[in-house]
Amino acid sequence: MLRKLLKHEFRATGRVMLPMYLILLVTAVGSNLAGRGMLDGRSDVLNILGVIIVMAFGIAICGVLVMSFVLMIQRFYKNLLQDEGYLMFTLPVSVHQHIWSKLIVSVVWFAATVLAIIAASLVVAYQGGFLREFLDFLGWFFEGLQKLKISETLNGTVYLMEFAVLMFVSLAAFALQFYAALAAGHSRANHKMVWSVAWFFGFQFALQFLGSLLFITLDRLHIPFPLELDWNPSPAVAIHVGLLLAIGVVILYGAIFYAVTTFFLKKHLNLE
Amino acid sequence: MQWQFSNDAPIYTQLIQQVKVGIVTGAFPPGERLPSVRDMATEAGVNPNTMQRALAELERDGLVYSQRTAGRFVTEDNTMINTAKRSLAQRHVKTFLEAMLRLGFQKEEIIELIARELGEEESDHASA
Amino acid sequence: MPVLECKGLTKRFGRTTALDEVSLTIEPGRIVGLLGPNGSGKTTLIKLANGLLTPDGGYIAVCGSAPGRESHALVSYLPERTAIPTWMTARQLLDFYGDFYRDFRRDAAEEMLDHLGIQPAQAVKQMSKGTREKVQLIMVMSRAAKLYLLDEPIGGVDPATRDYILSTIIGNYNPEAAVVISTHLISDVEKVLDEVIFINQGQIMLQSTVDDIREEKGMSVDALFREVFKC
Repeated sequence: MLRKLLKHEFRATGRVMLPMYLILLVTAVGSNLAGRGMLDGRSDVLNILGVIIVMAFGIAICGVLVMSFVLMIQRFYKNLLQDEGYLMFTLPVSVHQHIWSKLIVSVVWFAATVLAIIAASLVVAYQGGFLREFLDFLGWFFEGLQKLKISETLNGTVYLMEFAVLMFVSLAAFALQFYAALAAGHSRANHKMVWSVAWFFGFQFALQFLGSLLFITLDRLHIPFPLELDWNPSPAVAIHVGLLLAIGVVILYGAIFYAVTTFFLKKHLNLE
Repeated sequence: MQWQFSNDAPIYTQLIQQVKVGIVTGAFPPGERLPSVRDMATEAGVNPNTMQRALAELERDGLVYSQRTAGRFVTEDNTMINTAKRSLAQRHVKTFLEAMLRLGFQKEEIIELIARELGEEESDHASA
Repeated sequence: MPVLECKGLTKRFGRTTALDEVSLTIEPGRIVGLLGPNGSGKTTLIKLANGLLTPDGGYIAVCGSAPGRESHALVSYLPERTAIPTWMTARQLLDFYGDFYRDFRRDAAEEMLDHLGIQPAQAVKQMSKGTREKVQLIMVMSRAAKLYLLDEPIGGVDPATRDYILSTIIGNYNPEAAVVISTHLISDVEKVLDEVIFINQGQIMLQSTVDDIREEKGMSVDALFREVFKC
């Protein structure tokens, strides 16, 4: 059933995201053309037009980023907690599957958005010899990689991967904080939105409070980890440990909000 | 078939009456197969269980009979249909008489009125 | 086994009690009218049966289990509002129902849509209010469910649409399934019903068959309703 939920969720969101990518592409091509001829100062009209197109590209980048984020929350709210919730919550589907379908689709769109922006930037930068240059650059890049030690290559790749995972996990966890606040707020009989906002800031406060509490106690306890364990990691390993630790903490934080969301959607659903 | 319902009597008794009228007037000819309960219910705009109940009652009276697989059929027994016709007529006459008596007519006056009405109709036919 | 059963079911919204210790059973093969004035608790009861609301007391079971994933596969629900995503086309809606409900009879739905002259490529957004309600009803009635919960299926539509909806309900009758129709337009549905349940201020006033009411009281359910709920 999750597969089917994902299919329809992609259908619902693709309708918004794909045209956004198209706009991004069109403005990118426009900016590329503007960069070639329009901005050389021969005609004021062309100059202004060029500036507008380049600005439009900038706005499109912001727009597509904002949209992928707004969609992440708006789909949860509109599709599950508003009128469409009457249809969605009477499907023979579990609450877990609902939440996962929303999360997975949002994160996939975010990744797609990042790729789309990179692709669009390449389009803007494309000049006559650009493709050559780009290939040359890639060639140089891989040559450089070959000169590195295997451990260095590996470390670099893994850093990148860890960082990307951290990014997406943080994104999902942040979305879950919104989901949890909305689900909790909408379990109330009245003033659902006011309660949702209150819950959101409540969560925020609780997190900060717990976070600082943790720091203070760690500080007070003078926990020797990891120094007194005779463990002297190299800087490279320390970065790995730091990133993995960060991922772990973010997953924990996401898991708490996941539990809160399912609790309210399962035990206290109160659709208006 | 025209289906019409009043508000004061149970729907299944009204259905029995109307199917009877259908049989007597030939809308459901003798020996013919009746539509399925669901189709009849849909056409009459009534609950299928109520239609089922009415048809079961008619079956008990013998006006329709069912063959296990083929469905329900109208009886071929003309005397039975005629009896039904007479009983329907009697009901109409009874209600008519009740209404006339309530209006204060005497029996002789009623007969006279009917005779005159029938006479007029005949002369209408004659002139037409 | 009853298809719907409640015992002492209670639901509160803040200080108002929407349902007050409601107990009832609905058996398969029956078409039941849930009748009551606006705000009497009809929609609350139906939403509880669908698990869209959580009860504050008592118990409710659909085909023997509490509302949830299993019961959703057996219940076909028509909400009192448009719940189908309006950006979808009729064809996408058919895909949606076909994907999620094993008992969805796509051919039956297509035939009914075709009969109404609705094009598969037409978006729900472009349809009139009456057409939307008909499309939603077609989806709901095209399932071979055990329990149909229809919340105000004939409110706010013209008389011709009303007739269409009612004949669709009769035409899809299945002796193993029960249909619950909530409405305040009683004279229109009376002939279609086996049983009626009168509900007022969250309490069940009466549960009886239509013909028993007519036989015993010598009046239609509509007339009885007007008498019981006289202002």
